[in-house]
Amino acid sequence: MKKQVKKAAQARGLENTILVSILLFLFNLIFPIHDSSILAVINEFLVFATVYFLYNYIYHFLHTKTDSPLSLILNAGILTALIFFIISILNAVLGSNNGNNEGLGFFNSLLSVFLTFVFISAIVYIFSTFRELFFLRQKKDPGIYFNTMLLFFAFSFFSNILTKFDSNLDYPHDAFYVVTIVLISINSIRVAWIAFIPKKQKYYLLLISIVLSILFGVTYSLVIQSNILRQTLYTFSPGLQSIFSLVMIYGTIYCGVIFFTTLFHLPTAEAFDRKVDEVSSMMDLTKLITRVFDFKELADTVTTMTTRVCNSDSAWLVTKIVGGIEVTSVHNVGYVVADEVSRTVLGSGENDYDSVEVIHYDLLRAEIKLNEQEFKSIAIAPLKVHGKIIGHLFAARQKENSYDIDERKAVQAFADYAAVALENAKLISESIEKERMEKELDVARDIQRKILPLNLPVSDNLAISALFVPAFEVGGDYYDFFELDDERLGFIVADVAGKGISAAFIMSEVKGIFKSLANMISNPRDLLIKANEVLKGSLDKRNFVTALFGVINKSTGKLNIARAGHTPLLHCSGEIMTRLQPAGIGLGLDYTSNFSNSLKEMEIQLKNNDIIICYSDGIPEAKNSSEEDFGYDRLESLILQNCDLKLDTISKNIMKELSVFTQDHSQHDDITLVLFKWIQKI
Amino acid sequence: MADFNVNLRGVGPVSVIDVKGYLDAHTAPELENVFNKLLDTKQFKVVVNFDDLKYISSAGLGVFMAYVETMRDNMGDIKFSNMKENVYNIFDLLGFPILYEFYKDENEAIKKFDIIG
Repeated sequence: MKKQVKKAAQARGLENTILVSILLFLFNLIFPIHDSSILAVINEFLVFATVYFLYNYIYHFLHTKTDSPLSLILNAGILTALIFFIISILNAVLGSNNGNNEGLGFFNSLLSVFLTFVFISAIVYIFSTFRELFFLRQKKDPGIYFNTMLLFFAFSFFSNILTKFDSNLDYPHDAFYVVTIVLISINSIRVAWIAFIPKKQKYYLLLISIVLSILFGVTYSLVIQSNILRQTLYTFSPGLQSIFSLVMIYGTIYCGVIFFTTLFHLPTAEAFDRKVDEVSSMMDLTKLITRVFDFKELADTVTTMTTRVCNSDSAWLVTKIVGGIEVTSVHNVGYVVADEVSRTVLGSGENDYDSVEVIHYDLLRAEIKLNEQEFKSIAIAPLKVHGKIIGHLFAARQKENSYDIDERKAVQAFADYAAVALENAKLISESIEKERMEKELDVARDIQRKILPLNLPVSDNLAISALFVPAFEVGGDYYDFFELDDERLGFIVADVAGKGISAAFIMSEVKGIFKSLANMISNPRDLLIKANEVLKGSLDKRNFVTALFGVINKSTGKLNIARAGHTPLLHCSGEIMTRLQPAGIGLGLDYTSNFSNSLKEMEIQLKNNDIIICYSDGIPEAKNSSEEDFGYDRLESLILQNCDLKLDTISKNIMKELSVFTQDHSQHDDITLVLFKWIQKI
Repeated sequence: MADFNVNLRGVGPVSVIDVKGYLDAHTAPELENVFNKLLDTKQFKVVVNFDDLKYISSAGLGVFMAYVETMRDNMGDIKFSNMKENVYNIFDLLGFPILYEFYKDENEAIKKFDIIG
């Protein structure tokens, strides 16, 4: 909205300018020579209006180009040169017939109007340039000084017409003229923008400003000399002649000031440039740190910037790794050289530099023999995270001059950035790893859920209840039922050692093995021996599976079990609890005859209302806050107290008791609980 | 996090590993490092002293399973001693006593090596 208004004002400015210019042009066509004072005053006002509107238009236009002050000055300079050229030609061509220009009448008048427009445009443009430069990079608003000067420009403009009526009336104009020059001098001091331009441009500026200063001076002298041009201009508009000379003075003074200021700024130009470079590099780095998570890439940027900003020939970054140091990134130096120098300075990571330090190569030279690169001085800054040093940044020079305090600080600043980047990259990779593990857990849980049977077998004289509670980390519990034939029901409760996705995979394999073996073998002992053989190929050395396989004859109530390292089966008969623990080692612990030789089978006859309890070690090994096991005794007595209840209620009560026992201790392992109750048919 | 500590000492030609605290999936790598060191220096006669061990998980058991074969192939062995009852029960349940030698006292286990080799 604001922009639109401004734009409209600017467009109006152009319209106004054109309108007034046309008026001025017509006026001069109608009255080629204005002798009467009324005409002269009207003409003067028209000229002033043209200047004013054009100025208003042009400085808005220039305001958009303040990014490159050098080109602004250059444009002004070119215009001045053009004017100088025109004046010189006019002097050469018209200078001879000085006397009779009055007679040329119409042609002369047209020429003078044309010239006037050229001059008006030129001085307005030049003046606007000065205005922009004046306001450039100013912290406080110095508008009042400038506007005062503008006011005196206007006074000088209008007072000069008085001399036309009476040559004795020149003192007001002279007074205003002098005051304006004083104001110009004061305003010319505002050249803060020079400090901000790069060193190279300062050299250009130095050259341009001295040339322009002279050019303005010469043009000024041409304008105030009594020649045809001055006469033409003065005749046309005394005010214009006055401000024209003032602008030329402004140019001379301003360019002179620019010249000297630039000259004085030159020695500090390099330092200033470096500071600017440093700041912008830091800003780039900050941006990079938040966007790039690859430490190698960031390290490369850091070494490149360190080399450039700290006036070094080479830079490299060394990080500490377990048992030593490692060159992470190099710039302008070979890995071998960087590594050798770093090891000489840092040892294998035990010599830390607590703050930035500069060492001279001569001291090192005895220890390193390098043929390609020779460094005269090396700056070393530590990479610190939470007060711990995690690496070092090296900057090295082949020249003799050492690192000054500012350069050391810069090296340290880059080292600090590298430390942040390194820490960032580490944290991010950690969180990615965590995410990956969580994904893995999800997959493992999914596999586990699909492996366990959906429905329990239903039978008249055998009640079954099964409960499974996965742990957060996902263990490898597994249970299943197999209808071996019309009479016999096989069941397995197994536990794969280990956790996570690997355990889940082994579990699914175990399921496959038992499912297929149960079709062929119905003897529990033979089945486990066969399973051990099959598992040999797929289990890792340190992996094992505990399993308990049982077969219940649904018509006779006979139970046969074999146990491969699994938790004992509990048999609750009336008030008597028996722990059934036939010998047998875990699957995958041994593949020799030891396994089959040690594996024993057990047979028991179930009586009415007998309860059989199978479970995983998640129950007896559940721990409370003082690292105490839940244990077998607690489990057994709990079942004895509940043996008259329904199976589902029994397992619910066991889980309740378990959670009371463990309280806020997190569940470490999967919990499986499978219960059978034999109901004798009479 | 539960603490675990492992210490290696030599008694003649036998290496004795003292394990202390909780041996589980998180701490097992520490014990593995010790076994790797033994393999590097070709010491195959090992006694593990369980005097101060409070708990062992399946991952902890896996460490012994992983190395016992190599030790036995090189005329050595891994023998266990000074085990607390609760820890022994875990080994017992899995059938380890059939495959490994367990001793009440560390010296007894070391002596067994002397007789054989």
